[in-house]
Amino acid sequence: MSSPIADREQPRWRLSLDEWAVAAGLLLAILVRFGLLKRVPW
Amino acid sequence: MASSLTLTQPVATAPRRFIQLLPGIALLAGIGYAGKFVEATVNGYVRLHHLTAPNIEYVLWAILFGLIVSNTVGIAQVFRPGVATYEFWLKTGIVLLGARFLLGDVLRLGGVSLALVAIEIVLSIAFMTALGRWFGLKPKLTSLLAVGSAICGVSAIIAAQGAIDADDEDASFAIAAILALGALSLFTFPLIGHALHLSDHGYGLWAGLAVDNTAEATAAGALYSDAAARIAVLAKTTRNALIGFVVLAYAIYWANRGQARAVTNRAAFLWQKFPKFVLGFLLISLLASAGVFSKDEIGSLANLSRWAFLLTFAGVGLRTNFSDLKKQGARPFLVGAIGEIAIALLSLGLVLVAVRLNLL
Repeated sequence: MSSPIADREQPRWRLSLDEWAVAAGLLLAILVRFGLLKRVPW
Repeated sequence: MASSLTLTQPVATAPRRFIQLLPGIALLAGIGYAGKFVEATVNGYVRLHHLTAPNIEYVLWAILFGLIVSNTVGIAQVFRPGVATYEFWLKTGIVLLGARFLLGDVLRLGGVSLALVAIEIVLSIAFMTALGRWFGLKPKLTSLLAVGSAICGVSAIIAAQGAIDADDEDASFAIAAILALGALSLFTFPLIGHALHLSDHGYGLWAGLAVDNTAEATAAGALYSDAAARIAVLAKTTRNALIGFVVLAYAIYWANRGQARAVTNRAAFLWQKFPKFVLGFLLISLLASAGVFSKDEIGSLANLSRWAFLLTFAGVGLRTNFSDLKKQGARPFLVGAIGEIAIALLSLGLVLVAVRLNLL
């Protein structure tokens, strides 16, 4: 995807902060769902 | 800050970058856990000795410890890359928080929030623009302050700075004002909320509408109650979702005056500015609503979200340095302060009307 305002943006192949956060959240959800992380305490 | 996480900077190989993050992340965890430990210790002491004392939440302790470190010994260079990850923890926490919302609740509360957010954005931009002109601030600085106070603080200012070709100095002014006022809101909002006997829903919505930076809005909600924090995050996320539209409007405004580059592809621009973590939050909420997670699993995801927020709150304190804020001068801060107080009162009025109409 070409950037609408190109010169201050990072290359597309790098994950943005938001994308990292979504990836981390989904990974943790998968770990919890499949029992690899059980009963996380608080 | 939204786009400047060290993870994405081409400074070293990936394993090396990861290792560089560890000291700062350990500092966030240490300060956050110290806050949790002190809350538990103080509460235990109060209970044991049958004393009467207000419950000071771990959120406030973590922020206070962070503020003390940042404003006394400062943050050594070795910790800085990791401390900058506090926003990553915030967004991961919000994505995980989706497990505690049924999608129907998100749509219902999000719908109410959206209506209030739309009113808040229009009035905030109009008010801040008038105030900036009245105080004789530079027009682009006024635009940045208006975007920051109407939408979502630092992220919105950074997004708008690129889009309207504003100076770095103007962005620093606007960010400093928004951060200083966000820090003040942590101490004032819970007091006002309790004084007015606001419900968790009402208070959470107010914090989400009026506090500009997502981390501070989450913390202001958590200082009131767990339920208020959830609603504050939802309302703030609704505001964040509109960032692209407001920044696009400003980009077009300044491009029409020949003072910024034209936006060639508006759809791509909107997608680029859209906060993607909102999609992660909605996806997890959708999975929870579809019964993918058991009750225990939802409890675990909620606790993971709390741990992520714990690191965020430590980061809120650590990145607030009062001497840096003082260097930015009084005028932008004054404009920001007057504007923020007016927006806080306006948002409070909107929330009270919504409560009166049984919309919450």
